[in-house]
Amino acid sequence: MTTKGVTEEMDSKENEKPMLILKDIHKFYGSNEVLKGVSLEVRRGELVTFVGPSGCGKTTLLRLIGGFTDISSGDIILDGQRINDLPPNLRDTRICFQNYALFPHMTVAENVGYGLKINKWPKDKIAARVRELLEMVELEAFGDRMIDKLSGGQQQRVAFARALSLEPKVLLLDEPLSNLDANLRLVMREEIRKLQERLHITTVFVTHDQFEAMAISDRLVVMKDGLIEQVGTPIEIYERPANEFIAAFVGYVNFMDGRVESIDPATKNTVIRTEFGKLEIALEQDDIQTGDDVLMVIRPESVSLSIDCGSNRQNVLCGTLKTYMYAGSIAKCTVGIGAKKMIVDQYNPRDAQQFQNADRVEVEIPRSVHLLKKKI
Amino acid sequence: MAAAELSVKLQSSSGSKVKDFLNANLINILAAFLFLLLAFFLLYPIIMVLIKSFQGPSGFTLQYYQAFFSKNYYYQSLYNTLLLGVINTVVCLVIGFCLAYMTTRGPWILRKPLKIISLVPLIAPPYLFALSLIILFGRNGLVTRMFDLHWELYGFSGVVISQTLAFIPLAYMMIESTLMSLNPNLEESAYDMGASEATILRTITIPLLAPGLLKAALLIFVMTIAEFGNAAILGGRTPFLAPDTYTMITGESDFNMGSVLSVVLIAPCILIFFIHNYLLEGKKFTTIGGKPVASEPRKITPLIKVPFVIITTVAAGAIFVCFAVVFVASFYKILGVTHDIVLSNYLDFTSNQAIYNSIRVSFVAAIIGAVIGVLLAYVIVRGKFFGRTFIEMVSLSGFALPGTVLGIGYLLAFSAPPLKLTGGIMILALNCVFRFLAVGVEAGISKLHQIHIEIEEASADLGASFLTTFHKIVLPIMFPAFIAGFIYTFMTAIVSLSAVVFLVSPGFDLAAVKIFDAAVYGEIGIASATTMKLVLIVMICMMILNYISSKTRLGSSMKKTVAV
Repeated sequence: MTTKGVTEEMDSKENEKPMLILKDIHKFYGSNEVLKGVSLEVRRGELVTFVGPSGCGKTTLLRLIGGFTDISSGDIILDGQRINDLPPNLRDTRICFQNYALFPHMTVAENVGYGLKINKWPKDKIAARVRELLEMVELEAFGDRMIDKLSGGQQQRVAFARALSLEPKVLLLDEPLSNLDANLRLVMREEIRKLQERLHITTVFVTHDQFEAMAISDRLVVMKDGLIEQVGTPIEIYERPANEFIAAFVGYVNFMDGRVESIDPATKNTVIRTEFGKLEIALEQDDIQTGDDVLMVIRPESVSLSIDCGSNRQNVLCGTLKTYMYAGSIAKCTVGIGAKKMIVDQYNPRDAQQFQNADRVEVEIPRSVHLLKKKI
Repeated sequence: MAAAELSVKLQSSSGSKVKDFLNANLINILAAFLFLLLAFFLLYPIIMVLIKSFQGPSGFTLQYYQAFFSKNYYYQSLYNTLLLGVINTVVCLVIGFCLAYMTTRGPWILRKPLKIISLVPLIAPPYLFALSLIILFGRNGLVTRMFDLHWELYGFSGVVISQTLAFIPLAYMMIESTLMSLNPNLEESAYDMGASEATILRTITIPLLAPGLLKAALLIFVMTIAEFGNAAILGGRTPFLAPDTYTMITGESDFNMGSVLSVVLIAPCILIFFIHNYLLEGKKFTTIGGKPVASEPRKITPLIKVPFVIITTVAAGAIFVCFAVVFVASFYKILGVTHDIVLSNYLDFTSNQAIYNSIRVSFVAAIIGAVIGVLLAYVIVRGKFFGRTFIEMVSLSGFALPGTVLGIGYLLAFSAPPLKLTGGIMILALNCVFRFLAVGVEAGISKLHQIHIEIEEASADLGASFLTTFHKIVLPIMFPAFIAGFIYTFMTAIVSLSAVVFLVSPGFDLAAVKIFDAAVYGEIGIASATTMKLVLIVMICMMILNYISSKTRLGSSMKKTVAV
């Protein structure tokens, strides 16, 4: 590594300061507390997604940041400035609503240029900026169209361009893809992400779709009942969920009870006693000790399935194949083990024919299982 | 095989050809029957008015129209009426907008009380405001005497004030429903882009609501110029078309001139009806999905807040004072002149008799109106015959017709054979039925739109005849609409004045007419007490209506209907 220049160093320091800080935010509607103390830091240029089941408070939190709803207590700090009391028109945040909220009595160009006009830009500058924005979202030919003559995806782009017109410090996206059909969602998702990375714009994204959240975000904020359950990268959230709720929220999951019998301090080789016998895993977390009661988080796609039963290999359980649903690239199976059921996803299923006729199968639990410590 | 099956089917059905024919065409027969009713009781009287205006002693003549347009008095009357319409419309729109803005955008705690105050005038007969103005500002009025005022209440300004107060709820309801229909995210987006409250109003809210506001304006205009009571009570020497028609008929028995005045009054209504249909055809901005949500209260800038709060407070205060004054006045012989609290106003025999008559008439009208309304709604929604939209238009037009016109029309049409009705309860009831038919029909239509035709088809598929389906499926589902139509017709009929004032016979007074006469002759106590009784009756009706709509999800659609 070469030595950094002075300005670069200052820049990097500046860059380390979070763009948006939420400090212990509470929100009451009457006596109903919808946010129960939320704290979060959003870094510059980062795309953070609030995700959670409906009613978890994610949209309320977004509206609080945008200034559409007053906070009951706590602080919102945008780029070092406390903005609790600033109304939306004085905040440097821009929101894209779920229904786009495009002005139906204006053309595409008028919509995109609305904020510029309000902020008293000269006419020629507005025209230039609008052209630039429309080019960015590939709608340069549509400037004179009325909004209702656009498709859903095009409307989405116009809303996006409008929100970006004034180069906000933080872009707020409220379920922006939920009105699009499945294929278009995937396309727009990628486009939004690409643009966001290119413009390096700090973005808060709200969705109830956990897969969308994982695909698009730098970090996820999983919320439930007005509280943040976990903050982390998609990989952290999926592979190392903090609790049962998160484990189940971000994908299918099999839980298995067990007790940690021994941990090899050198190799971290860990033996767990379950009702089906001993399983051995490679421990990758520090919060587990010998004697702990744990819940093993076993993802359906991490389990491998084979037809023979009775081999004496490690981590293998024997069960009956209850269902085998072949769907081309994947086969979804249910295996009865004792009185429990385990869901297994077999990707690229090769011996489907044999499995369809099989009765007894072997399930191999991987060594890379995440453990949740049971609360006593 | 298929042919054989078909022939078997044909054979089996040929036995009951009549029944099959009925089954297939019953809805058309019903429609034809209903149309005859509409034609006879709604179109025929209006045509009679039109004919009468051209019919001299020796056939067709234009002399009455010549008389109208050559006399300065009539010019003045027309001018006053139109000016009243314009002023009233503008003022009502402004006040209605302020109230609606506050109840949809303002702080939560203000929303409900303001809404209630805005809607309270609905339970009042429209002439309550004329009455309370007389009590306060009349020649012997409380305020007049207290401050030794020399302001002349009787005349243009008095009519404008009482009309404005009377039409606030209508304006409020129509504007509120358009304000509610606006996706709050649109305004929020503008706010988010840096627009101030005033800029949002100017660039987003008002442009988007323009069609709705225009619609409200046209309707208020039509209703104002047609309104009879306030102008008749407070007009004094200032001529207005509606009361002029009344004096022409009752005072001078000049049916020709009365008809001409009616035609002149109805002309702007028809004109506006077409403008309205033409202008607003397809001129509705569509916005993209999302559930309609109430706007969150926002910090309203003083620039907006101050004028809004002043207008809102004044309007709300005036409404409250008017009610209070009439209530107090009902316990004095003449408030401000006599000083003993008395109950005699409430015990007055003739006014109680009039109330009783009103209830009877309104009850009959409500039953007939609700039945016809539901049936009409059914044929309008489910029928597939030629002229369906025409039937819909005719049945909904009643409310836009000036009551005086329909009053004269009934007098002309039903005082001689083929159907002589004058002097009875039926002419009054039928008049109310067809004037207020729109509400029952609207309630029925909105209810029917909630039912999928599949339900009826399923029933027919299972072998039920048309009558069975109608009886077992349609009627039970329509029952709430029937009840709503019944109550609404009842409470509208019981306070209505403008048409029935032509049709009451000596010895059979109605409450509204009684109040009108008492107010004109200065029997303030009796007028007030009778008004309070009507207020009470309407209030009870409203409560029942509210209960029903909350129980049956007739909710918003009914509210809209009531607004019309």
